[in-house]
Amino acid sequence: MTPVLTIPWGQADWNAVLPLSIVALTPLLVIAADLILSRSLRRGACIAIAAFGLIVGGIVAALSWGHPYPAFGGGFVSGGFAIVFEEVIVAGALFSLLLAAHLGRDDQAGGGIALLLWSASGAMLMAGAANLMTIFLGLELLSLSLYCLCGLAARPTAREAALKYLILSSAASGFMLYGMALLFGATGSVQLAAFAAPPASPALFALGSGLFLIGLVFKLSLAPFHAWTPDVYEGAPLPITAFMSVVTKAGALAVLARFAYAALPQHNAQAILLPLWIVAAISMLVGNLGALAQTDVKRLLAYSGIAQLGYVVTALAGTTALGLRYAIFYLVAYTFMNLGAFAVVALLSHEHEEGSQLQSYAGLGYRQPALAALMTFFLLGLAGLPPTAGFTGKLLILASSVDAGYGWLAVIMIVGTGISAYAYLKIVRAMYARGAGAALQRHVRPASLWPWLGVAVCAAGVLVLAFYPLAPSDVLPLVK
Amino acid sequence: MIAALIVLPILAGFALYLVPRSAELTAKWLGVLVAFASLVLAVLGNGQPDESLRWLQRPFSANFHVGLGGLGFWVVALLALSTICALVALRVPRQRDFVAQMLFLLGAMSGVFVARDLLLFALFWDLMLIPVFMLLIAWAPGRGGATAWRYLIYNLAGGLALLLATAAYGVVEGSTDVIGLSVGHGVTAIGAAWGAWIFAGYAFGFLVKTPVWPFHTWMPDTYADLPPAAVAVVSAVQSKAGLYGFLVVTAPLLPEQMRAAATAMFVLGLVGLVYGALVALVQDDAKRVVAYSSLSHLGLILLAVFSGNAVALGGAAVYIIAHGLFSAGLFIVLGQVEERQQTRLLSRLGGLAELEPKLAGALHIMALAALGLPGLCGFAGEILILTGLYQAGAVWPAAIALVPIVLAAAYMLRLFQRFMHGPVRAALPQRPDLRPIELLALGPLVIAIALLGIYPAPVAGSGATLTHPQLAGVQR
Repeated sequence: MTPVLTIPWGQADWNAVLPLSIVALTPLLVIAADLILSRSLRRGACIAIAAFGLIVGGIVAALSWGHPYPAFGGGFVSGGFAIVFEEVIVAGALFSLLLAAHLGRDDQAGGGIALLLWSASGAMLMAGAANLMTIFLGLELLSLSLYCLCGLAARPTAREAALKYLILSSAASGFMLYGMALLFGATGSVQLAAFAAPPASPALFALGSGLFLIGLVFKLSLAPFHAWTPDVYEGAPLPITAFMSVVTKAGALAVLARFAYAALPQHNAQAILLPLWIVAAISMLVGNLGALAQTDVKRLLAYSGIAQLGYVVTALAGTTALGLRYAIFYLVAYTFMNLGAFAVVALLSHEHEEGSQLQSYAGLGYRQPALAALMTFFLLGLAGLPPTAGFTGKLLILASSVDAGYGWLAVIMIVGTGISAYAYLKIVRAMYARGAGAALQRHVRPASLWPWLGVAVCAAGVLVLAFYPLAPSDVLPLVK
Repeated sequence: MIAALIVLPILAGFALYLVPRSAELTAKWLGVLVAFASLVLAVLGNGQPDESLRWLQRPFSANFHVGLGGLGFWVVALLALSTICALVALRVPRQRDFVAQMLFLLGAMSGVFVARDLLLFALFWDLMLIPVFMLLIAWAPGRGGATAWRYLIYNLAGGLALLLATAAYGVVEGSTDVIGLSVGHGVTAIGAAWGAWIFAGYAFGFLVKTPVWPFHTWMPDTYADLPPAAVAVVSAVQSKAGLYGFLVVTAPLLPEQMRAAATAMFVLGLVGLVYGALVALVQDDAKRVVAYSSLSHLGLILLAVFSGNAVALGGAAVYIIAHGLFSAGLFIVLGQVEERQQTRLLSRLGGLAELEPKLAGALHIMALAALGLPGLCGFAGEILILTGLYQAGAVWPAAIALVPIVLAAAYMLRLFQRFMHGPVRAALPQRPDLRPIELLALGPLVIAIALLGIYPAPVAGSGATLTHPQLAGVQR
């Protein structure tokens, strides 16, 4: 008797998704630990298990470097490109755990951490997703967990953030889904690779890719689809904000890059993508201008993230091989700089108050010189000043966009960078100016080593990448 | 060893934070020691083979390539010397943190003058902003940080334009490891379409940094608000980075564009020359007198740089160093006055020569050097520049340039007279004269001012060799 349903997947298919499967299954252990263990052990154990799962997932992913394989009939392409993004996602999730170890509340340890890992596994699925179904699956797995996570903090702004994120993000998903339907209608396939052939109906294809890109751009929080970002960042608990600022963006960027590089017909790819470059240009201006007026560091980093992702997308302009390398390089540099800044915010946080108000930085340079110096270093990096990875990354993006014939984007990037300096260095000034706030002595939460570990790792990363710009060299063939 | 000029002060600056905050004297003398080590390294490293490490291969090749020689050597020596003198001569609150910032500044600025790669040059160009910004926010009182922001915004705009130009240069040429080369000798002439934009980016960065009128509006406030010990170094060296850039980066690499821009630059230089001198005549704040006099002097050097004449370029090199020496000296002496009298306003001071004859003598020497007394360094630079301008056929600019040189005597003597002569103001606190160590701190500057005035040939030679065959036509 022949089986009714044959499963055409083999061992290689399961191996391709092994890293994200590990990350997706670890939460079961986390929840079990949460149920079994006593209150005092619970949080530590949950975090340890989650961190262990993430590290194993990261190692497994790293081991499969250089073995591209289109798993599940081309639905998930493992190999170099996906792995780079998976590692960024794992690093971002681990980092949020570090912050959660410092800041989280005991009564919500298990559930929150489980959701965090599920969200990360969704992003990891997006990193390798190569057809419309897996993209949407990854995206929703990522988002649904995040809606809950945003509301975790016990304050009204958290609920506002969660609701706002839920409604706006669902609308964006709707756009994306409709775009996917049109793309399928225009090409008759859900495989991204199949889109490279000239479509039967170019107009439908263009409309479909436009709607699809709107959905992605929303997840990347690029202007003009960025309005939700500051509110959500402000309301969400700090570890979740840090998580969103890296993991969501890495996942969405992976899909965006794959779509831009591998899923468009050669002859009119640049025309279809032109709106995307314009969005990047607007983001670099709007993000940095918006950051100018902020007095809450989380909101400032939200606007900063809008601009920084604008820089990353600028690197993709012209869809050159070098551009992709530099986009990844800048994404990694941004991860270090941004998470470093978040770790400093975590170290300044108190029991009921996150250290994100600008005034809690007043005189920090005299109270905690080392912490202030490191914060300065991260902010200089975000502002693109030397000697940081931000400087090198920006230079590389400038060069590649000039090379690709997008000099106007390079000019806008320079203008945006000039504006951003004020926003970032405003915090530096608060830390070092001799003024009213300098005498302000605040109770600082007992020092915890965890965020310090994060700060140190990030600082090392920002410094090393400044002078030794590692960029994965062979990712382009692996996109397709 | 040349790389140590950059690395040593920066690492020492961080190491200084290990010294307890209260050990101000220890910090001060450690700083002096490091600056002295820089001076020794510069002398030993002069003319040594270049050092290079690979940095980027794509999108263009760039190296950590440093070398020391020619004008760069003289500026680096000036930098170390002015840092030593400023640190010894003046007291600053929160000495340890201040010395650390000064050491960062020393390392970053040394980097600008030893970089042999455009990208490395751009890196240090932006890096040297940061210590000055930190000095302004932490040591400049009042005005809600307006001075710091103005400094940062102007200079960052220049720095970013320069960075974009560097990226474009790298993409077009394929390599940025080109400082010290020239068109036809290792690099190709960049076509008109790109060349104009790249030159514009560099020129904007250089003009803002120098500063040249009309990009100078950040400068008087910055000089007035920085602590005297910092402004001595910033005015002595950081303002020379732009002129050095024109001489060492754009003149050899973009000679066509230099020639095309010469007329415009002559106009800017002349306006700055006259305007700076006139404004200096009416300032009440002594630091602003010197700041505006700098604007005037730097305009003169800009004329020399764009004349393309060997004699004028020699004069430019001499005047770059000379201005560094006497402006550092002037700001240090003004700082010493302010330390004693708690003011530096011309209208509130008078008769100090009776109370503090040594201080008066020091100010006298610096003022004479600044107004171009023959035998001191200012004169050597001015006469070479004027001769060169005349030789190059720029008769009218040379004639106009004479006027502010005369005005220099007026504003410098006015400054000296108001401070030192006349009746002693009763309201002034009675303070002791310069202590021996403070006097000694000015010694190296005075000796250098006299030596350069008597024997400017080595420095002039380093400038004259900057004329490239392609530049011969850059004439007015």
